[in-house]
Amino acid sequence: MRCSIVPPYLLLRIAESQEPRLAGAAAAARRALLHDIPLRNLRGVAAERPEAPGPPGLHRTISTADHTETLPGRVVRAEGDGATGDNATDEAYDGLGHTYSFFSAAYSRASIDNASLPLDGTVHYGDAYDNAFWDGARMVFGDGDGEVFNRFTLSLSVIGHELVHGMTQYTTNLVYQGQSGALNESISDVFGALVEQYAAGHTTATASWLIGEGLFTDLVQGSAIRSLKAPGTAYDDDVLGKDPQPDHMDAFITTTDDNGGVHLNSGIPNRAFYLTASALGGFAWERAGQIWYDAITAGTLPAASDFTLFAAATADAASARFGHGSEEHRAVSRAWQSVGVDP
Amino acid sequence: MIITVIRSGGFAGLSRQWSIRVEEQADEEQWRELIDRLPWEQDLATQDEPDRYIYRVRCAPREAVIPERKLTGPWRELIHRVQEAEEKHPGT
Repeated sequence: MRCSIVPPYLLLRIAESQEPRLAGAAAAARRALLHDIPLRNLRGVAAERPEAPGPPGLHRTISTADHTETLPGRVVRAEGDGATGDNATDEAYDGLGHTYSFFSAAYSRASIDNASLPLDGTVHYGDAYDNAFWDGARMVFGDGDGEVFNRFTLSLSVIGHELVHGMTQYTTNLVYQGQSGALNESISDVFGALVEQYAAGHTTATASWLIGEGLFTDLVQGSAIRSLKAPGTAYDDDVLGKDPQPDHMDAFITTTDDNGGVHLNSGIPNRAFYLTASALGGFAWERAGQIWYDAITAGTLPAASDFTLFAAATADAASARFGHGSEEHRAVSRAWQSVGVDP
Repeated sequence: MIITVIRSGGFAGLSRQWSIRVEEQADEEQWRELIDRLPWEQDLATQDEPDRYIYRVRCAPREAVIPERKLTGPWRELIHRVQEAEEKHPGT
């Protein structure tokens, strides 16, 4: 697998350009996004205008709920339409594009179902709604209340997180309860972070490993919602309290709320992924991400998997792709052991 | 009689709680009538929509769990009223 050094956001910007003088570069950028062509091929390519403004297979539709809770709402931007000037709409549109490009380039996956499923999102949901969710068919984003939360489209990792819930629905379909629910959440955090790292060209060492950076307003003492690198440290605020995520099985939280703590205990597998990526270095999506991706697309993971089963699936995936006892296989095993899970 | 609403889940996984004492409300009778109208025994099951909120409503000895999507009718009315009442008079 090769990945362009050109930041994908730049490729997207070039690909979407309507400037006649950039027609050749735009076409090449579209192919680069789809087929992972190195940057040098962007230069000197004969000018050509494709039929459709966006890459084939990418079909985005953004709607607005106009501050109601009615879905899907009114379409405000369809594939190929220019920017609307509405931040939430344009961030959702671009974020869907980044997520699509990441899975296409990194894992040759065509949309969340690997069959070019159109990507739909609704923005301006509810009244000062402090949340974003996946409703089984589309991503839905609130505007935030402006006091604790900014709008939820501000963070690419959040957009990636929501779409990956869609991918999980089409792959492992992990039950959204208890440990399998925490794995469902963790997979969304892992690949949400990787979408952001890929778009920014960040390595394991330079990435923030934060989910939802920028989501909190300046009034909140916190940098993000969650940290994969250091679960439990994303925020520590007088009003909101401290980030409650555990980073080890010793601190596993037993609760009936939050579907059995799915947003809490996800800190444990999140940290295992970070430790794997950190041990391997480089771009996290290339080896650590590939191993996690192989584990969830193998078709062998039960929907009710617990952490131990998932850990074993990632170790098996590392062994299958890189060899038993390989650097990658050992990194995965050590990472899980470090968080108290024996793969 | 105390009514407590605990909202958990959501993308951020931040829990919030609102609580009011019925006897301290100006329209106490309306509150009691609303509480009696709630379908406490209805099985609303666990939700499987990722990142949506889950509401737990307590009014001892009764308790119910309501997924956000099923927050309609009297449940919706009650939760909104509890949130509004507490925000007007925090610290009950």
